[in-house]
Amino acid sequence: MSMLMLSGAKDRLLPSSIPFRFFASASVFHILFWIALLMGADDLATFNGGTGWVLAAIHLATLGTFAMTAMGAAFQLLPIATRQPLVHNWPTYLTFWLFMPGTLILTFGMATTSMAALTVGGIATSSGLLGFALLTADNLRRASSLPLVTAHGWIAMISVLALTVLALLLIFDLDTGFLPDHRAAAATHMSFAAFGFMGVLVFGFSYVLIPMFALSRALPPRIGWMGLVFSALALAFATPALLLEITILQFAALLCAHISAAAYLWQMRTAFKTRMRKRLGPAFIVIRASWALLAISLLVALATLLGAPIPNGATLFGFLLLAGWLLTFLLGVLQRIMPFLASMHANPKDGRTPLLSELTAQRPLDIHMFCHGAALVLVATGIVTDITLLIATGAAIGLIGAIAFATFAALVIRKL
Amino acid sequence: MTEEPPGKYWRDDGILHIDVRGLGPPEPMVAILFHIEKPEEVGPVIVHHFCEPIYFYPELTEMGWSYEIIPGEPEEVRLILRQKT
Repeated sequence: MSMLMLSGAKDRLLPSSIPFRFFASASVFHILFWIALLMGADDLATFNGGTGWVLAAIHLATLGTFAMTAMGAAFQLLPIATRQPLVHNWPTYLTFWLFMPGTLILTFGMATTSMAALTVGGIATSSGLLGFALLTADNLRRASSLPLVTAHGWIAMISVLALTVLALLLIFDLDTGFLPDHRAAAATHMSFAAFGFMGVLVFGFSYVLIPMFALSRALPPRIGWMGLVFSALALAFATPALLLEITILQFAALLCAHISAAAYLWQMRTAFKTRMRKRLGPAFIVIRASWALLAISLLVALATLLGAPIPNGATLFGFLLLAGWLLTFLLGVLQRIMPFLASMHANPKDGRTPLLSELTAQRPLDIHMFCHGAALVLVATGIVTDITLLIATGAAIGLIGAIAFATFAALVIRKL
Repeated sequence: MTEEPPGKYWRDDGILHIDVRGLGPPEPMVAILFHIEKPEEVGPVIVHHFCEPIYFYPELTEMGWSYEIIPGEPEEVRLILRQKT
């Protein structure tokens, strides 16, 4: 009887191949991100848009690692959190097989300025992203619990729609030049991608995942709702502010983003204060560092907008936001969540469920943590000082860290 | 954490019962861990849940507890937790 019941529990999980194909791909794209950054080291500090290795690196991180991780996590965690299963599994496979090769082709097109690759890759990637958004929206539509997380999910999915439309317009504009201001559209696309999609999704998922990992009491929803309102306002102000270059609206958008981030960080502080688990492990060193980098990135943005003499301030802001906050946070969560999911999926021959600690290869994670931190410091310093050697050295160290992280991922997957 | 745990709990024939129905995530897990982390709590412990807490199983295993689903009321998933020897 109990064995039957337990197999029922396993049936409520998606096949392990679904989330882990996304997580494995995210680990590989993480390696490719640092390689592309190494190739584009000479152009990074003064990057001002346009195709090339830097643009490819940005999308290897945002699409290849961030979105890929978000998809794997959302497909696996959202149905259980909302208690609304996916209707079918096949759309997740379709999404993956559109999105993963699409991202490879698209970023190849960005690096080489190949219109054919940009077009094919752009359409495939957009189709994969929209497939993900539709599947997630269907789950959110049926969800009756976790209203705060669900509301974050809706804003993130609306942002996916906006960023995808803008992405396709930007690709076709490279060939035809029909957009009145390509750079303004690109900046708006980035605000929807980095803040509207990934940022808001990270905020929403954190309200469940962080208390779950830290064993905290449920977080007071009022501050979470306030943060969400300011996230939405930040996006609402940022769109005309960036498209039409209206400075006062840029300040308004940034102020709202600051309040939204402050509300989120306050909630995370509450989770830490009420936690039962005193030893959170190395993953939380990474996660806490990412929160510090979120605050620093927004302060850099504000200082740059106020005209503070920060050399290459806009690029520094972008790097701290993407590699500093989002990449660091997601790698911290991945190193916590992969052994956790593997433990639930594991089907050992001796019938003994493996312990979480047995599924975590700490040595590669330690190497990654050291290399990732060093890479962030070196590349950020290289951007400010415009020294290519620093950026290249940072990217090379980041690459070593990414390989160590992929080794950890491979070791977890091998135990499935 | 010294405050009262979320959920309801009582003892019946010396066995601790924890009722986490109606709690939002992650409070069911917090409530159960609050009790079973106490050194004097050696089990067995009966948990009254609204769904099967599959995300909790790795944590329980790590802590040296086994779990088994036993018959309960309709709309209830009842688990018995035992400390592994």
